[in-house]
Amino acid sequence: MKKNRLAKAGYDNAKSLLDIVREIGDTAAGLWWRFFDWLAQVEWRKLIIIWLLLLIVGLTPIGLPKQTGFFILLSFGLKVLAGGKRKAELEAREATSHADEEGLERRLAEARMAALQAQVEPHFLFNTLALIGQLIETDPPQAALIHQNLIDYLRATLPQMRAKGAGTLGRQIEMSRAYLAIMQARMRSRLAVSIDVPEETLSATFPVMMLQILIENAIKHGLEPKIAGGRIDIRASASVSTSGQMLHVEVIDDGIGFNTHAGDGVGLANVRERLRILYGNRAQLVIEKPLIGGTRACICIPYAPDIFAGSAK
Amino acid sequence: MNVNTPGGQRRATALIADDEEPMRQQLRSRLQEAWPGLEIVAEAANGIEAVALAGQHQPDIVFLDIRMPGMSGIEAARLLFNRCHLVFVTAYDQYAIEAFEQGALDYLLKPAGGERLRTTCARLQTLIGQRPSNIERQLTQLLSSQAKPAAKPEYLRWIQAVVGNNLRMISTREVLFFRADEKYTRVQTEQAEVLIRKTLKELADELDPDEFWRIHRSTLVRVDAIEGVTRDLRGRQMVKIRNFPEQLEVSRGHTHLFQQM
Repeated sequence: MKKNRLAKAGYDNAKSLLDIVREIGDTAAGLWWRFFDWLAQVEWRKLIIIWLLLLIVGLTPIGLPKQTGFFILLSFGLKVLAGGKRKAELEAREATSHADEEGLERRLAEARMAALQAQVEPHFLFNTLALIGQLIETDPPQAALIHQNLIDYLRATLPQMRAKGAGTLGRQIEMSRAYLAIMQARMRSRLAVSIDVPEETLSATFPVMMLQILIENAIKHGLEPKIAGGRIDIRASASVSTSGQMLHVEVIDDGIGFNTHAGDGVGLANVRERLRILYGNRAQLVIEKPLIGGTRACICIPYAPDIFAGSAK
Repeated sequence: MNVNTPGGQRRATALIADDEEPMRQQLRSRLQEAWPGLEIVAEAANGIEAVALAGQHQPDIVFLDIRMPGMSGIEAARLLFNRCHLVFVTAYDQYAIEAFEQGALDYLLKPAGGERLRTTCARLQTLIGQRPSNIERQLTQLLSSQAKPAAKPEYLRWIQAVVGNNLRMISTREVLFFRADEKYTRVQTEQAEVLIRKTLKELADELDPDEFWRIHRSTLVRVDAIEGVTRDLRGRQMVKIRNFPEQLEVSRGHTHLFQQM
């Protein structure tokens, strides 16, 4: 037993010693490659000046003339023999990272396309048209109202119709109001809506179709499947955090809540991807399950209040 | 139950199920025009109510909307198929339309009315008194099998984590990797790191094995987040994660995952 333990201790010692040797090896290798890269990229003129300086130091009594000479010869040899190849390699690597950036731009373009293609659900459209047809017979003024809401909604949703400058929170809220008014006409007492958005945030930049996707999700997966129906709250607020001013836009419903086994679908994945491309790590899509039930979805993006908003009007 | 008119003739009865009240009103008034003799005995606002009311009133015909809360029209049809004639009413449902076109069971597109509704009513009038046909049953089965594609094992798609006072839902697509931390598991996303109570073993069983790979006794990594695999000087395979500084070690037992590399 004891012998075993000793052997084990010895083994551990040897292992840790080996680790130290390896670490030293790693560091030395790292330094060597750094030197090599530097040598490959440095200009000849600069290198010659460094050699001259080294020569001067080497010729003084403190200097080590032999080592200096060796270093100059070695670096000259390396530069001539391998410098060109290494330089080409490094340039190729740089080119690759440029290509990555281009890839990012391409993905941005693709995500924009996906946003543009974000479709009007045919089911929604046909049901709304059927509703208008019914209301024309029974309640013409209400039919005209729903009809107008449908036009507003389509104007903001159909890519061909989407007006320039749609990317403000105010425009996105208007469009959501139109959509929710239609849904309320269809679901009647099964849908209650409240929208609480401070005036000053309306002019803030906000990507298109994101709020819409959250609201459609809340209705489709939260409230429509719930027999009693429920309510949907839309709130916006600005806050100051370490990373600057942030704009939070929340969509809260008290529907049947989240199915943890359902895929997050095209909608949420699209929102997340676009946020990432537009804002990197500074934006977030947060989805929470409040203790009282339902779902809370929140988009947080950097907030740039439009200081000219007031004067422009 | 058929209501007998004083003349001794049976009066056909029907039930309308649709979650949207305006649509029920519409169908009711259109039916009154197309078939004045039909008596609407009840209206249901969802599938569960439809089945219950159909049991109570025993109508000859049930008009069913397909998308309804609680229980869809298709699920309700499965419970009702042999007891009454079924007519689906839908605004837009390409699957249903395709299926119906193969069979004899009727369907109506919203807004239902005019000639189309009269044809349906005429067909139903000849069917009243007969037992619902077998084709309805077959079609109902066909529909329900289309509505629920072959039962694929359902994998966990959302991780629930307590962040502050809230229960945060994290899509598995956001996760870079999971790492065991005693009784807990650390969930690493690009933005944050959170602890959850589930053990790595439980997670590995619930997650899609094609989405997450186990590369170490204590590490599950999302395949899409892997940028590359390198060997360090000690010969260990190290997994590089996209947009994340730390590299993850692949243990000896799992090196086969990256064998081709």
